[in-house]
Amino acid sequence: MSKSYITRRGFIEGGVGLTIANLIPGTPPLAVAASMEERTVTAAKAAGAADVSGMIWSPYFVPMQPVIAEFKKQTGIGVGGVQDISIFDAPQRAMAEALSRSPQFDFIHIDSNMIPSLASAGYLEPLDQYMKQADFKIEAVADYANFMTYKGQTYGIPTDGNVHIQYVRKDLIEDPDNKKKFADKHGKELKFPEVWEDDLKIQQTLMDPSKDLYGSGNLRNRANGPTWWYMIFYSAGGFTFDDDMNPTLDTPAGQYAVDIYLQDKKGAHPESAGWGTAQMIPRISQGHVVSCQYWDGTARLNENPAKSKLRGKWLYGLVPGSDFSGKRIHRSISSPLAALLINKYSPRKAQAAYLALWLGSGKNSIPIVSDPVNTFNDAWAKEHMTAPQVIDAYTAPAIKAIETNFQVVSPPTYLTGYLEFQDTLGKNLSEAYVGQLPAKDVLKKTQDEWNAVVRRIGRSKLKDELASYKAVMPKRNLPA
Amino acid sequence: MSVAAVPAASVDLQRSPRALSRRRAIRWFRWSILGPLIVLLAVVLMPVLLLQLYFSFHQWSVYLGSWSEAEYVGLDLFGEVLTDPRFGWAVVRSLAFATGSTIGCFLVGFALAFLMYKPFRGQALYYTIFILPMLTVPVVVAYTAEMLLYQSGPINDLISRITGIEFKPMWLTDPNFALMTVMLLEIWNWAPFSFIILLAGLAAIPKEPIEAAEILGASRWRIFWEVQLPLLRPVIFLALVLRFLEAMAEFPKTWALLQGGPGTATETLPVYIFLTTWQYFEISKGAVMSYIVMVMMIVIVLFAIRLLRREKRSLDAMYGQAAREAAA
Repeated sequence: MSKSYITRRGFIEGGVGLTIANLIPGTPPLAVAASMEERTVTAAKAAGAADVSGMIWSPYFVPMQPVIAEFKKQTGIGVGGVQDISIFDAPQRAMAEALSRSPQFDFIHIDSNMIPSLASAGYLEPLDQYMKQADFKIEAVADYANFMTYKGQTYGIPTDGNVHIQYVRKDLIEDPDNKKKFADKHGKELKFPEVWEDDLKIQQTLMDPSKDLYGSGNLRNRANGPTWWYMIFYSAGGFTFDDDMNPTLDTPAGQYAVDIYLQDKKGAHPESAGWGTAQMIPRISQGHVVSCQYWDGTARLNENPAKSKLRGKWLYGLVPGSDFSGKRIHRSISSPLAALLINKYSPRKAQAAYLALWLGSGKNSIPIVSDPVNTFNDAWAKEHMTAPQVIDAYTAPAIKAIETNFQVVSPPTYLTGYLEFQDTLGKNLSEAYVGQLPAKDVLKKTQDEWNAVVRRIGRSKLKDELASYKAVMPKRNLPA
Repeated sequence: MSVAAVPAASVDLQRSPRALSRRRAIRWFRWSILGPLIVLLAVVLMPVLLLQLYFSFHQWSVYLGSWSEAEYVGLDLFGEVLTDPRFGWAVVRSLAFATGSTIGCFLVGFALAFLMYKPFRGQALYYTIFILPMLTVPVVVAYTAEMLLYQSGPINDLISRITGIEFKPMWLTDPNFALMTVMLLEIWNWAPFSFIILLAGLAAIPKEPIEAAEILGASRWRIFWEVQLPLLRPVIFLALVLRFLEAMAEFPKTWALLQGGPGTATETLPVYIFLTTWQYFEISKGAVMSYIVMVMMIVIVLFAIRLLRREKRSLDAMYGQAAREAAA
């Protein structure tokens, strides 16, 4: 083995030389010459080759495979095996992993709203050091990258925007007979809904159950219902907790949100109380719905000529807002927002982290979010908004709607105990929707249950987290 | 207190080396069978039960430190669970579900067993067809039901066509129907279990009492009611008890199909325990619920064993009386 020595003089000379070279006009700075993807590859190579394993749902994983194969070619880091677990079941499984401090999975692909709970359980590896090493930034639309942070640290890399956008049947809303019918009934013009009340009117006026056409395509089942309620609640100026972590649901804004939420039933299919995405997405894409707020990926399905008969017959835009607070506020939502999280107990956490960064670069994720068959990963990065491949998959109006909604996107309860808060609210809303609980009791009951959750998890701990939750909330009332 | 006199010869015989050696061998054989089982139970079951017991008396949150540092709370958690109306309703739903589905399984299983217990041509084919539902994975049953049972789905359509009346119940989304729907699926799924047990029981009934009744001129109905049914009672009890215990623990269909909804219409005990433990991560409360359910089940099993013993005694008495009458 030979040894080579660098003298102090030689080292200083070399450093000075490189600094001067960097300053010569017309030459790219050497230190930042590489792209973000190249820097990620360089940092990953230093971590060493490995096959990492993870927990991910196959519809999300399949379009990632070619991108992962490229990373494997360049760095030797690939995916050895995955457990195919639905994103809806992943939180429970991930918490079981956290409880046992298991090193089984190097990464998990999960709803980012679980970040506070999993970080509190000690399962998550902060990604900031890896991002710094690769000089990596999450280049998301608007402030969406904040959804990956908790207590000032970054814990996730998004792969899926999953923002709600407004869908309205263009052919129905532009039909002259419908326009007249609507004007006669409500004394106003039939147009794209701007507030919740208008959306309800459109749904109820244009629906025709005899033709299997129902007004609403919104979900009201126990698992998904709260997602819709939050949009209405936030847009009415409501927020879930005060600064002392007392729930503030049972307020005029909360009651308004419950009222709008339950009115949806008048325009909904009679079986909507139990329907989830498996039932509702086909209803939307096959034209059995007048309007709805829904995850953005459905636009890709609507505009796919191989799968939809209604290509070009939809209008996409900003979800309705509310004037309830005295000023117009719009709030969209992203939940579940699928992100890659890294297991702190993994022996290959560095490799898994760099793989996540590779998959989360704007450029690399273009083929992932524009896959025509596996439409689960939705556009979220700035680069996606202008990439022809992505625009082609969604259409320009849908991409515009996604970009607009991202500017006012909010989370559900972004705190430790997310699942507890979500399920108790969902249970009570669902009971009210099917008539098991009076509407006026929904929020009182939920507040009582949330107070118990706060006591159990610890008020002071949750108070510490409140700043992270508020940081994720949008700062604009209306999109710019 | 009286002590029965034992002949001296008999005592000698019991103390003889041969008898002692035989008794030792029997004891050795018994322990060789029981020993590994006891060790297995001690190694596998006891740590789980002890850990659950620990959690039942200690309040632990997954978010706050190690479970070994959990706060001791005495019986507080038991009080909390026993006064939780949601738990109470879950118990009521589970009992209603288990009772209804057990009776349904028994009626269907018994009817099939009665049709099948005498050999006939093609019996094996029917037997295979009848046990097929039991071989279907419950989650698959749930998803298949979801595709069949929506309001304008094939089941309602078929019933409407047959009856000529528009039949539109919302099997899965009406809170008044949802639990009954899962119950019907449970019956479809597990009636074959009752069928197999009852078929074995019917086939094992001795022919002599039936032949005697026939000779005495008893009708088919009377033979069934007064001979076959009493002789089958222990088997019926066994089928009912096993099915009831299984039904109390039903989770996959209820969860896959309805996740406890609509509202809380199908929030049974297993669903609520799952939610508490794996959705709310209240491991301690979940442990307490599990203990309470375990005690409930033990009470039910002890009651069932008592009933089975009583049945056996009454059967023994019946046989004894029949033998005495025959001898006379």
